[in-house]
Amino acid sequence: MRVNPNPYPDILAAIEQTQQQINTDEDQIASGKSVNVPSDNPAAAAVLVQNADQTSQADQFQRSIGSVQGEIQSANSTLNSVVESLQQAISLGVEGANGTLNEADRAAVATQVQGIQSQLLSLANVTYQGNYLFAGTASQTTPYVLDPSSPSGVIYQGNSGTNTITLGNHFTLQTNLPGSQLFSDSSNGVFQSIQDLITGLQNGNTASIGTAVTEVSSALNFVDSQQVFYGSALNQLTSQQTYLSSETAELAQQEDTAGGADLTAVITNLTSSQTSLQASLEAVGQTSQIDLFNYLK
Amino acid sequence: MSSLNASLAIALSGLDAEQGALATTANNVANANTPGYSRQVPVLQSSDPVVVSPLTLGTGVTLQSIESIRDPLLQSQIQQESQTQGQLNSLVSALQVTQVNFTSSTGDIGTAITNFFNSINQLSTSPSDLSLRQGVITAADNLATVFNTTADNLTSQNQNIDQSVVQSVGQINTLTQQIATLNDQISHLQNVGQSAGSFIDQRTQAINQLSSLVDVSVIPSNGTLTLTTGNGTPLVIGQQSFALTTAVTPSGLHDVYSQGTDITNSIASGALGGQLTARDQQIPAIQSQLDTLASGLAIAVNTVQAGGFELNGNPGTDLFAPPPAGVAGAAASLSVSITNPALIAASSDGTVGSNGNAEALYALGSQGIISGQTPSDYYSDIVFNVGNATSNATAEQSASNLVLQQLNDQNSTVSGVSLDEEAANMVQYQQAYDASAEVVTTINDMMETIINMSTLTT
Repeated sequence: MRVNPNPYPDILAAIEQTQQQINTDEDQIASGKSVNVPSDNPAAAAVLVQNADQTSQADQFQRSIGSVQGEIQSANSTLNSVVESLQQAISLGVEGANGTLNEADRAAVATQVQGIQSQLLSLANVTYQGNYLFAGTASQTTPYVLDPSSPSGVIYQGNSGTNTITLGNHFTLQTNLPGSQLFSDSSNGVFQSIQDLITGLQNGNTASIGTAVTEVSSALNFVDSQQVFYGSALNQLTSQQTYLSSETAELAQQEDTAGGADLTAVITNLTSSQTSLQASLEAVGQTSQIDLFNYLK
Repeated sequence: MSSLNASLAIALSGLDAEQGALATTANNVANANTPGYSRQVPVLQSSDPVVVSPLTLGTGVTLQSIESIRDPLLQSQIQQESQTQGQLNSLVSALQVTQVNFTSSTGDIGTAITNFFNSINQLSTSPSDLSLRQGVITAADNLATVFNTTADNLTSQNQNIDQSVVQSVGQINTLTQQIATLNDQISHLQNVGQSAGSFIDQRTQAINQLSSLVDVSVIPSNGTLTLTTGNGTPLVIGQQSFALTTAVTPSGLHDVYSQGTDITNSIASGALGGQLTARDQQIPAIQSQLDTLASGLAIAVNTVQAGGFELNGNPGTDLFAPPPAGVAGAAASLSVSITNPALIAASSDGTVGSNGNAEALYALGSQGIISGQTPSDYYSDIVFNVGNATSNATAEQSASNLVLQQLNDQNSTVSGVSLDEEAANMVQYQQAYDASAEVVTTINDMMETIINMSTLTT
């Protein structure tokens, strides 16, 4: 039986194939990835696109949480100050309600409460990075201005709008409460109660001072209860940060599973490819030396 | 009664025949590495005997012909497989260039889409912040640029493939001309009863080359061959070749014509077939998906923009220039139509601090706005499609390489020149030549004996 007298194309093809395999292995070792172009593993390449999208989204959520946190902390500590101011007002009210005080003393107390009123005004008009925190969504409008014609002594110029922001694939958070809700509640208004207290002190009417102290006290309780909103928002942000960190870690794990190179396997393959390449090359060297013409002398 | 002269003639016929046989061996050895060469064997036949009653005497040997050893079935299989391989080679090299555009990097479309939506999420934390608004415009610009670049890359790749189409047609015409000329030479030689072995080898080689360029059917007729494309368009009939031509169509790309008929869509295999598949099917399919993505994204963003309010409280206007109505060309022409960051419609109620519409814009990233899929999912499908097309074609190419290699092995087993065999033949022919020469010497001695005998009698 005749055999193929020209084995070189086969040997060359084998060498080329081995070299191709060596190149692929070297690419994987260099990049640490098993998917360097989409055709390496089309399904994994598609998974990696989605993985990169989700990872980048999670990073963005972390950055957005960082931005929102500052604003909410600022609102939270502002409300702390409001509560403290209201406590002072209550003390002053209790002092002013004391029948032993003379008119001049009461007027002095009234002036002190007016000081608290302007403190509260500046607290309600607090800004964070140039935006009013308690103006609803009218963040460039001063929420409260003094207005003697108003029963509460101030008028609210903001709106009742709130913002909600997406900070996770299934997590949204309301980030603000409007001043109208915090300070101008119809039955527990901060500014109304302070104005009533000032009026009571100025009039020297201990009964109405007493009523006003009760009003301030209930306004304090109301603000206190509203502050829970910000405290809870901060807690939610912290737990969302933790969740996103673990999601990022999980995504990194998934990325590695889908597109990471199995270096142990790749290096083993590379070694065996190199051995087989060497064998092919030696085969060429040896076969080329043999034919009958060499023996005819 | 035989004569010494007759014996001399027989010995001479042996010398001639063995020389001829040795020449065949020499030719085989010389062509051992000639591509397409089929080994030749001398066909020796004993000459017609003469009857000199009561004896029948041989009259020596004739070198009747020199025959090329080939297997037509194998060669036809090689031609078939060369067509497949040619097609896959050009398709794979095209797709490998294409898929680079969809290889994950910080500059790919997927990243640009994610960055665009991320910039909106950041804006949502502080909707009146001008630098965050500028961030959205920058991200939208980047998105448009990446779409433009990718679409331009695909277009210029298609133009390069188009040039290859024209070149392939040129090569096909050169080969069909050669084949027609060889047909002529072969039929001429065969008409005068001569062997056309090496011309047939050259023709087979030319047909193999032609097969790697275009789908060819080979129909033998009267000693010559008729070649047509797969759908019957004539390429060579006997001694006449029919050139294919190319002409630019309104699309700016070349179509292939035969005798004025557009045969572009009927060319299925060979390098030309692969180039046409890449140029007219694979790459346009990717371009169309990119256009769908770019157009769907632009329309959805513009629609949400229109539902919100910009920083001055006016209704939002288009963020992206409206995509072309037919979708085609949307990726190449995607552009951002606003430069003033105040014009991002982040507000849902007209107040500066509202992020309601920014949230609505952000939500587009997770809504099925592109053929029912999110933009990112739709893009990952494109990546899968490109990768899958490349990977399938590459796998088919490897399989075809193996088949062709196998067929070439078999063909070489039948037709290849074996130096061992030639060396053995050479020894054999040389020995027979020596023996015939020895017979001539002996006859010469006998002649001399007779001549001396006659001198003696006179």
